Amino acid sequence: MSPRWTKVLRDIQMARGRLLMIIVALAASVAAVATMLSAYTVLVREVPRNYLGTNPASAQLTLEREVSDELLKQVRSRPNIVAAEAAATVLARIEVGTNEWLPLMLFVIPNFDTLRINTLHRESGVWPPQTGAMLVERSALPLTRTSLGRPVNIELRQGGRGSILIAGTVHDPRLAPAWQEQSVYGYITPPTLTRLGETAPLNLLKIVVGEGAGDGKAIEFTVRELASWLAGKGYQVLEARIPPPKLHPHQAQMNAVLVMLLIFSLLALLLGAVLTATVIGGLLAQQVRQIAIMKAIGARARQVAGLYLALVCALGIAAVAIGLPLGLAAGQGFIALIAELLNLRIDSLALPWWLFAATLLLGLAGPLVAALAPIQLAARRTVKDAIDDHGVSPGALRSSWMIRVLAHIRVTDAALKLAVRNVFRRRSRLVLTLSLLAGAGGMFVTCLNLKAAWEDTVTRAAHDRHFSLELYLQQAAPLERVVTLAAGVPGVRHVEPWDVAPASIASGDGLEIAHRYPDGTHASFVLRAAPPETELIAHTMSEGRWLHAQDSDAVVINTSAQAIAFRGVKLGDRVMLSVDRRMLNLRLVGVTRELLIPGTAYITPDVFAKATRSAGLTNAVRIVLADREPVEAVSHSIVQALEREHIGVKVVVTDRRLAAAQAGHVYILVFALGFIAIVMALVGLLGLASSLGTAVIERTREFGTMRAMGMRSGDVIRSVLGEGVLIGLLSWIAAVIVSLPLSAWVGAVLASISAQELSPQLSPFGAGLWLCVVLLGSMLVSSYPAKRASQLTIKQTLSRT
Amino acid sequence: MTTPVAASLIRLRGVSKSYELGSGRFTALQDLSLDVGDGECVAVVGKSGSGKTTLINLLTGIDSPTTGEIHIAGHSIHRMSQEELTVWRGRNVGVVFQFFQLLPTLTVAENVMLPMDFCATYSSAQRRPRALALLHRLGIADQADKLPADLSGGQQQRAAIARALANDPPILVADEPTGNLDSSTSDDVMSFLASLARDGKTVLTVTHERDLSRFFTRTVTLHDGVMAEDSASRRRAIA
Repeated sequence: MSPRWTKVLRDIQMARGRLLMIIVALAASVAAVATMLSAYTVLVREVPRNYLGTNPASAQLTLEREVSDELLKQVRSRPNIVAAEAAATVLARIEVGTNEWLPLMLFVIPNFDTLRINTLHRESGVWPPQTGAMLVERSALPLTRTSLGRPVNIELRQGGRGSILIAGTVHDPRLAPAWQEQSVYGYITPPTLTRLGETAPLNLLKIVVGEGAGDGKAIEFTVRELASWLAGKGYQVLEARIPPPKLHPHQAQMNAVLVMLLIFSLLALLLGAVLTATVIGGLLAQQVRQIAIMKAIGARARQVAGLYLALVCALGIAAVAIGLPLGLAAGQGFIALIAELLNLRIDSLALPWWLFAATLLLGLAGPLVAALAPIQLAARRTVKDAIDDHGVSPGALRSSWMIRVLAHIRVTDAALKLAVRNVFRRRSRLVLTLSLLAGAGGMFVTCLNLKAAWEDTVTRAAHDRHFSLELYLQQAAPLERVVTLAAGVPGVRHVEPWDVAPASIASGDGLEIAHRYPDGTHASFVLRAAPPETELIAHTMSEGRWLHAQDSDAVVINTSAQAIAFRGVKLGDRVMLSVDRRMLNLRLVGVTRELLIPGTAYITPDVFAKATRSAGLTNAVRIVLADREPVEAVSHSIVQALEREHIGVKVVVTDRRLAAAQAGHVYILVFALGFIAIVMALVGLLGLASSLGTAVIERTREFGTMRAMGMRSGDVIRSVLGEGVLIGLLSWIAAVIVSLPLSAWVGAVLASISAQELSPQLSPFGAGLWLCVVLLGSMLVSSYPAKRASQLTIKQTLSRT
Repeated sequence: MTTPVAASLIRLRGVSKSYELGSGRFTALQDLSLDVGDGECVAVVGKSGSGKTTLINLLTGIDSPTTGEIHIAGHSIHRMSQEELTVWRGRNVGVVFQFFQLLPTLTVAENVMLPMDFCATYSSAQRRPRALALLHRLGIADQADKLPADLSGGQQQRAAIARALANDPPILVADEPTGNLDSSTSDDVMSFLASLARDGKTVLTVTHERDLSRFFTRTVTLHDGVMAEDSASRRRAIA
């Protein structure tokens, strides 16, 4: 081997501690990139594959009466319709414990074997389900607290209570996980429904369009034509649902989150690359005279640069070799987590070749590009300049304002005074170290800012709701009876009816088209009867006013509904809402800002009762408990009291459940950001360690001189430790500043995912915790160079090459 | 004032070198003209700050003049870029530093092989035998595979001289080569440098040790950046 490469190998051996530090930091960054890149690649491929694999309906039309086989045949022969099937959906509830019920959505499928639209993946058990049995969505089985082959009690609106066997499980990628929605999904045949005593016509017509299947406008055009044709045949279309074409309900949000995490992981890699530049810069500073000698004996700049670039390349290869497999393993874990969160089945974890190439390229190019500038700078220095190097930026101590500012800092301790001055000796290195720590700190604080913003939203939401719990009934029940029963339970202070009904914007031609998913929960809104004088919610109006008792056609919407369905509608505009198959012509009078409440439009109870013909009935009540009453226990008693009177409760919503339903989305992001922040913090502190290590090496002679003048070991240690802590403090300020725009951006992404407003804020806990981490970390990583500096003898310091 | 030498290997004309310091402009060399011929062994002497090291740096292309011209073996090095100077220096000038400046992670032999590697003056197969031959000539062949830190000061300086000779340059420049050596070792080193001059190489050595003058054929004395005395001129004047 030629001497120059021997030198590179021996340099690696000599600086193994620092170089190992680079490898660890780069490997962690490469692992983060590989995790997010592999997750992105697999999920972006598998989610549409999962969803489109079910051949999702382009539209689902609710007809006034059952779809006959003959009609289906005719629909299939209509222009631009390539498939059509009939189905029904029935809302029921399922008993999951003694007197403990959850909502049950039953999908009635005429023939499981010929199912071509919204197909299901068989998971386990019997296929198709025999009469008297149902298949459940795989994520719902744990909610039923039973196992395959066992019967469960269910209750239907008409059929009342009955027993049904769970025959098997299926995977329905169109639906959110059952645990997330706290709702069970079942799949049965029409004979099973009949046996349960329920008469639900197969009045849902699912269609798949041919031309323009990916274009919402084209689908809507086909649907309107079909609806008109059906009307001519005597089949009135009550509602049409057109979900976003070929798009999984969570696709857009998932892509946004993955892209954001990918950007952050690339940022971690960038910091890793900056650390490489810092450490290599330190190595170059240490070897400045060696470089001068090499140039003096004939080494050209590119030969010198080649040595150090090869060294960086070797570090990059080692980092990729370690980080890539770790990242791919972590990526699989992350994919599994997302798959569970979004109820996905990952058919293939295969990764494209370019992912490996891209990771290798990023792992190599990142540090190489970052280190190129210091290497070229060192290689191009003149021999004289390099020999004259004394570890101070050219002009750093000559320049003016910095020294004048520093001179005004009154520090009596000579060691600390030295520390303050030394911080600014190598300004470019200081900037690199500060960027490393500020980037890491910014991410760390952002992570906790996000958590704080979410918790603040939950707190404010709870503060705005002046009720303890909300009960949704299986079906409308006599208002007086419900209120009396609930109010009679010990601990209940006040009961107020807040009726609810699903609603949609109606078009001018009378056909109600809802741009929502068939499960009815995504991209949908509800209409509620809100007592105008209610004190159960705080009205924070963003526009207009709240309802008045005398309002006969006024509607107030919340901000979620405004985002989902009322874009472009201004105060005073009239809107046609379709509710319970009736049209409501309303005037928008206000927009209220509500936190953690899904899209809702509010009208007065009188208007609601007229529209839904439910005067004297209620299907939802809000309840205020006496102070310090245990919510869960009282809600259980209320449910029991109503059940005894055969008033079925569909679901009980408490603050805790409301927050928990959305917390999953937030905490997974906090967790992922935290993971990246830890990687970045590691990189940042290693950067500081490297920077101080280099500074000590550069100032070896200086330490010798000072020790010759009587400086004690303790003073040397205080000087180096002080320098580290001061850099840590400066980086903390930068981190807090960086965290503000970063938090705003992440908050905006999160708000778009959860359709909830998040007010960006600075978490004092986050900022304080990072201050502790960065101070402790700075002291920890400064202690080794400080100790080393204190142990240098005068003889050693003056014989440095 | 110097008299031009008919066949000058090194020719300096009106060379000045100034530096900008915080306290103002400092002139290290002023209007210096000098000619050095083949096989001369020249001592550059003077007090600290007289411009000795600056002169050596200019002759080796480590530094460039503020004004004036430097011609060495037909090359106008004052016009060369840093990269051109590096290539030129590697093949034409061997440099010996006061503090030896051997690369600490390479063995003595590897240090000597390094210039041959960078300048590609010898094939890979020729480099080690040549390095060992040079070390043998300097009497430290038995130290070839040791690291510099294992050698005495004298041995390290010999190794540094061997490295300076690696590419067989016509000129050898040494900056205080005996500054860190005892008198006996100093004599050995200076004898060797003088023998190189006798063999035809041009040797320029910065020294402040007057008692080493016996080893030189010529002494140039600098004082405050100007030439105070040149023994060659004096000899010519006497002649």
